[in-house]
Amino acid sequence: MTETTIGIGGAAEGTDMVLNIGPQHPSTHGVLRLRLVLDGERIRSAEPIVGYMHRGAEKLFEARDYRQIVMLANRHDWLSAFSNELGVVLAVERMLGMEVPERAVWTRTLLAELNRVLNHLMFLGSYPLELGGITPIFYAFTEREELQQVMEEVSGGRMHYMFNRVGGLKEDLPNGWTGRARATVAAVRSRMGRIDDLVLGNEIFRGRTRGVGVLSQQDVHGFGVSGPIARASGVDFDLRRDEPYLAYGELADTMRVVTRTEGDCLARFEVLLEQTHVALDLADACLDRLTDLPPGPINQRLPKVLKAPEGHTYAWTENPLGLNGYYLVSKGEKTPYRLKLRSASFNNIQALTVLLPGTLVADMVAILGSMFFVVGDVDK
Amino acid sequence: MAPLPGIPGIPGSGLAKGLAVTLRTMTKRTVTAQYPDALPELPPRSRGVIALFEENCTVCMLCARECPDWCIYIDSHKETAPPAAPGGRERSRNVLDRFAIDFSLCMYCGICIEVCPFDALFWSPEFEYAETDILDLTHERDKLRDWMWTVPAPPALDPAAEEPKEIAAARKAAEKAAAAAEAARRDQGSRDDQDEGDA
Repeated sequence: MTETTIGIGGAAEGTDMVLNIGPQHPSTHGVLRLRLVLDGERIRSAEPIVGYMHRGAEKLFEARDYRQIVMLANRHDWLSAFSNELGVVLAVERMLGMEVPERAVWTRTLLAELNRVLNHLMFLGSYPLELGGITPIFYAFTEREELQQVMEEVSGGRMHYMFNRVGGLKEDLPNGWTGRARATVAAVRSRMGRIDDLVLGNEIFRGRTRGVGVLSQQDVHGFGVSGPIARASGVDFDLRRDEPYLAYGELADTMRVVTRTEGDCLARFEVLLEQTHVALDLADACLDRLTDLPPGPINQRLPKVLKAPEGHTYAWTENPLGLNGYYLVSKGEKTPYRLKLRSASFNNIQALTVLLPGTLVADMVAILGSMFFVVGDVDK
Repeated sequence: MAPLPGIPGIPGSGLAKGLAVTLRTMTKRTVTAQYPDALPELPPRSRGVIALFEENCTVCMLCARECPDWCIYIDSHKETAPPAAPGGRERSRNVLDRFAIDFSLCMYCGICIEVCPFDALFWSPEFEYAETDILDLTHERDKLRDWMWTVPAPPALDPAAEEPKEIAAARKAAEKAAAAAEAARRDQGSRDDQDEGDA
């Protein structure tokens, strides 16, 4: 028996068009793919398709010892390498019940905040770029360059610092570094106003971002959105204040959690900008404390073979882009049995499914850019 | 700051402010360095390339084993030397045949340098070793040895830092030697006194 199917054209299916944004698209900075269903210029539904850059980091962790993991872990979100390293070593230190020297705690806090400034400056520059303003990124990168020099002098790396070790930091600070760091922080702060003038006050920028892509508090909670994006929607949650790790507990008078209630693209940008100022203040406070500390070591002596005792723990940190957590399960070997990675961007971009429908294609770029994600952090 | 939502400012004032920023920047000195003409000043800790001081290498293979992505290749053979004294035992030692690092795989973590027990590996800020073929990024021992000449001295540490362990060990050894010399001198001195007393 032969069966013949006769197509009747697309008339019955309506005129919707499926449009793929990415995986190779300049506005996705990386390989995020969005599958949009369009009704004319309006987006009917959107689905982020992730995984084009999956590198299997979690599986690779299982075959690396705790020093090698630091090297791998700082790479999934390449803009917040220091904070990524921090989560791993905090988890292992907690498992070992290890006390970290005070100098290491304050230096880690300082470097984490400098890393936050570096990360935020990247997005403060690249977001206007996506909206058609080429100039601001050069200003952002001028500041980044100076801060990167400070980071390079202490750690040897400009992006992948590889400076955390279980029990402290790799090496102590070079002579005179604190003075140079303080001067750089002051210089960067003195020029931060240029971003206000260039971007935030710009009528075109405000016109393209205000009221666009409003993310509700319910959706923030529903999708597990965190970091500056969640705070722009009025979710007042910051681990540095609500569950202090490192030295943040003692920085309560400097620490300010920046929030907005609008939840639109402009609010997200404003949170990022103000957080940068807060991070610079925190860095200054850390430098003050660091000079007052008594001389001492910056790391713990480790055994030749470092083994985390049997058990499990979850260490989460407030990374520049949101909550970053490591769930470490150890069977007492020198490698973890399982190291689950909860990365900020993965959850954050899922909110695009509710954020994009109903908006215009032209606004899609504005919304996508304001989600401040790193594709490596999405795909792990 | 831009006008608050709902309150109209002078139209275009935000744009004018932005243009003022660029105008001010235009009159200032440029921050961009023209790379091949102006070389960057890199700090001594800068992780540019890994240099090998092969005279110190004992082929213990620790670096190759600890490397997270196994990009160090080492070949060696054993050589036996005749006994130092007649009737003694023959001595065998490892001789390095090949030491190569594949910089297309290297992730610049520095674990090999950290684990080397004989100080045979060092970071150098040298970075100008780009190649047009990925295979050419595997650099052999002669190239790695040449980079040794570009290794800077480590920077002095912060006054509040602990003494580096090399310096601490050297200081302890020197103090011990000084104390021993002092004791010997005093010993000698007291014996001289005794000699004089006898006479």
